[in-house]
Amino acid sequence: MAAADPTRTPPPDPPPALAMRDLVVTFGPTRALDGAALTVAPGTIHGLIGQNGAGKSTLIKVLAGLVTPEAGTVALHGTPIAGITPGRVEELGIAFIHQERLLVPTATVGEALFLGREAAGSRFGYLSGGLQKRAEAAIARFFGIRLPRNALIRDLTIAQQQIVQITRALLAEPKIVVFDEPTAALAKREAEHLFAAIARLKANGLTTLYISHYLAEIERHCDAVTVMRNGRDVAEVDPRRTSTAALTRLMVGRDVSDLFPRHRAEPGAPVLALAGVSVPPALRDVSFVLRRGEVLGLTGLLGSGAKELVQALFGLAPIKAGTVTVDGRVAHVANPHDAVRRGLALVPENRRAHGVALDLGIRENLTLASLDRVSRRGWLDRVRERAQALRLIGDLQIKAAGPEAPVRTLSGGNQQKVVLGKWLAREAGLYILDEPTIGVDIAAKAEIYRLIAGLAEGGAGILLLSTDLDELLGICDRVLVLYRGAIVSEHPAAGTTAESLLNATLTGDGPGAEASRAA
Amino acid sequence: MSLVTVERRRLALPAAEIVRFGIPIALVLVLVAFSAAAPGFLTVANVTGVLVNNVALAAIVAIAMTLAVAAGGTDLSVGTAVDLGSLAFITAIGAGQPVALAGLYGLLAGIGTGLFNALLIARLSITPFLATLGTLFIGHSLQQLTTDGGNPVYVPADRIPAALAVLGHGAVLGVPLALWLVLILGVGARLLLERTRFGREVLAVGTQVEVAIHSGLPVRRILALVYVASAAVAALAGILLSAHVNAYVPYAGNAYLLDSIGAAFIGTSLSRNRRPNIPGTILGVVLFAFVTNGLLLVGWNFYWQQVGTGVLIFSTLALAFAGPRLHA
Repeated sequence: MAAADPTRTPPPDPPPALAMRDLVVTFGPTRALDGAALTVAPGTIHGLIGQNGAGKSTLIKVLAGLVTPEAGTVALHGTPIAGITPGRVEELGIAFIHQERLLVPTATVGEALFLGREAAGSRFGYLSGGLQKRAEAAIARFFGIRLPRNALIRDLTIAQQQIVQITRALLAEPKIVVFDEPTAALAKREAEHLFAAIARLKANGLTTLYISHYLAEIERHCDAVTVMRNGRDVAEVDPRRTSTAALTRLMVGRDVSDLFPRHRAEPGAPVLALAGVSVPPALRDVSFVLRRGEVLGLTGLLGSGAKELVQALFGLAPIKAGTVTVDGRVAHVANPHDAVRRGLALVPENRRAHGVALDLGIRENLTLASLDRVSRRGWLDRVRERAQALRLIGDLQIKAAGPEAPVRTLSGGNQQKVVLGKWLAREAGLYILDEPTIGVDIAAKAEIYRLIAGLAEGGAGILLLSTDLDELLGICDRVLVLYRGAIVSEHPAAGTTAESLLNATLTGDGPGAEASRAA
Repeated sequence: MSLVTVERRRLALPAAEIVRFGIPIALVLVLVAFSAAAPGFLTVANVTGVLVNNVALAAIVAIAMTLAVAAGGTDLSVGTAVDLGSLAFITAIGAGQPVALAGLYGLLAGIGTGLFNALLIARLSITPFLATLGTLFIGHSLQQLTTDGGNPVYVPADRIPAALAVLGHGAVLGVPLALWLVLILGVGARLLLERTRFGREVLAVGTQVEVAIHSGLPVRRILALVYVASAAVAALAGILLSAHVNAYVPYAGNAYLLDSIGAAFIGTSLSRNRRPNIPGTILGVVLFAFVTNGLLLVGWNFYWQQVGTGVLIFSTLALAFAGPRLHA
């Protein structure tokens, strides 16, 4: 494969693997694409970045045949393609890996990987028993990890589901793979495996279109990157020669100053204290203290126990040993109802499944956790409810057609603001945030960070579980690292580098392992 | 290319509207067609007869079903609650108890059925469909065991209290009591679902139960209350049924089960935001009743009548699901 220089347009021969030109797509009054173009040289990893609403998703939907453009052309390997339909995509050699996991929840991993391709693994119409083994081999080949044996898709974490989905796409041996934020749910290590897999496939001539909010990833792995803004491609740059700040500026059209605002709260009384908490088999002997006005980070690889800790605190998994103290009182949190009554709030990782009721309106979602405050003797006070919803929509700058719009119609960032708003309405004392900025564009991210800082300044305690190290160091006061079910180190955000934090999550080594207990 | 897009967008709105207004319009068309074909159809006597005999009890059971459907489940044991309510009521009357006390027994039998469902669903986390199916079977055996293998229980003619006749055949302001009960329960259930905190919690549980859990709602308690309420309302239908015929008729309640499911889902398809709702459910019951009655009057073979109901459900659902498909 001749190395093409992806930064020059039009690219030299061979013809581009993908050339999209002058695309126009309108949805009602809005122009989702307004003359957008994208050129991807064959055998390269091409990044596509832009804020939510910049037109990335629409561009991808055009390629997937889900949206028919009003104008513009699409060519694959120099051949113009007219009328792409979802059914033709696979035959054209394009595979899509979407943000939303489109797997059958009750299928086994083997079935999910080979469903619809049973012919390959069946004999006389029966699924061969080797399905599970072949699935394991395939996942090991691309990711170097092993998923729980015989697990159903719904038992897997989001990251594991994503791994299954990507493996499934790669097994079809496509010529072009489009990743729509694949690593949003992946821990660093799985992400590294993914990139290693992509690099290997690239050597075999695979072309990759890679959409991500993680600029660091784009800079490290992409050969070229197209930046979109307001439905157009505004620049194509070489990410290795472009700074993060420059990329951000291209995305938003201006400088994003203080993405990570520092809160100015002094630590107050302890709001949460754990002593010797165990959640077998995931977690053992965890102790730490979180004070009001403090943002405490929590990080670890998949399987480190960080996720299980968050679940157990909110009453979603049983704590077998140790004590949890909330606001100075020992709390046996049996279920989320208990947790909420004690002033806990959870912003769950799986926003669309656990955070927002997609078919309910914004108003109904915003008041779901605080119905006691908008009702009198069991009757809803509709005036007060609406007022509360409108106030939160204003405060959080939720962009929507109105308070009754179904949450399904909102962007990821705005959906997340609805989840946060649901708890703001309760004035919770302890916020547990599980990957709160996944799939959220950079502007909404900044708003969420500002909100978190505001909560800390208002006297709430924040426990932030994240695998985004920049985010952890940017907004937390200190970060606890979990490794194989135990807290192995504590890092004050000031003076800690992302590299040392990454090292601690990967190896379990690091300073202050004892300090966290003493705190 | 642009033509296609425009075409799709223009179709999107009316498709949803066809479903919403289609059924009321269909109801009117059916009435017009039947009254043209069968002279006896659109008479006060026939319409009142259908409302009292075919709509009232079915509507009460369908209201009970709608509560369960609103909470994201199904209550297959509504018929069982009808039967057990009826059995307890008639047994008490037969034993010489006053009608009011007998009614309380009937209601308690319903609540007992509901508590059993609540235990299975809220405590043991069994899917409502399977839990209430189990209750349906158990209730069947229970009736056989208590009535010598499923014999009707009649109140001897000389022991029928006057109050029973009033309950079964009485009218207030010229409107039969059964229809008043439909009105009261219907308005009550609608207010409960739309205007109360509990109704909102039911909606959340029925829409996306995981979100309800993660928002700290007492999901088990909500489910338990829903299934108790559903069975209690169904038992009221059983009491009314017994008062009407002065007897307990074994397994009579199951006749209402399928219609109530059909009506609740037709009602859901009717609503703008696809939510289970009481007025839609009642409209569904009314539509079923008049189609059946009309077919009878135009002289359709009795054995073919359920085909009418089936076609009705198909056409509603076809429209309801064509709506979103045209959207896409």
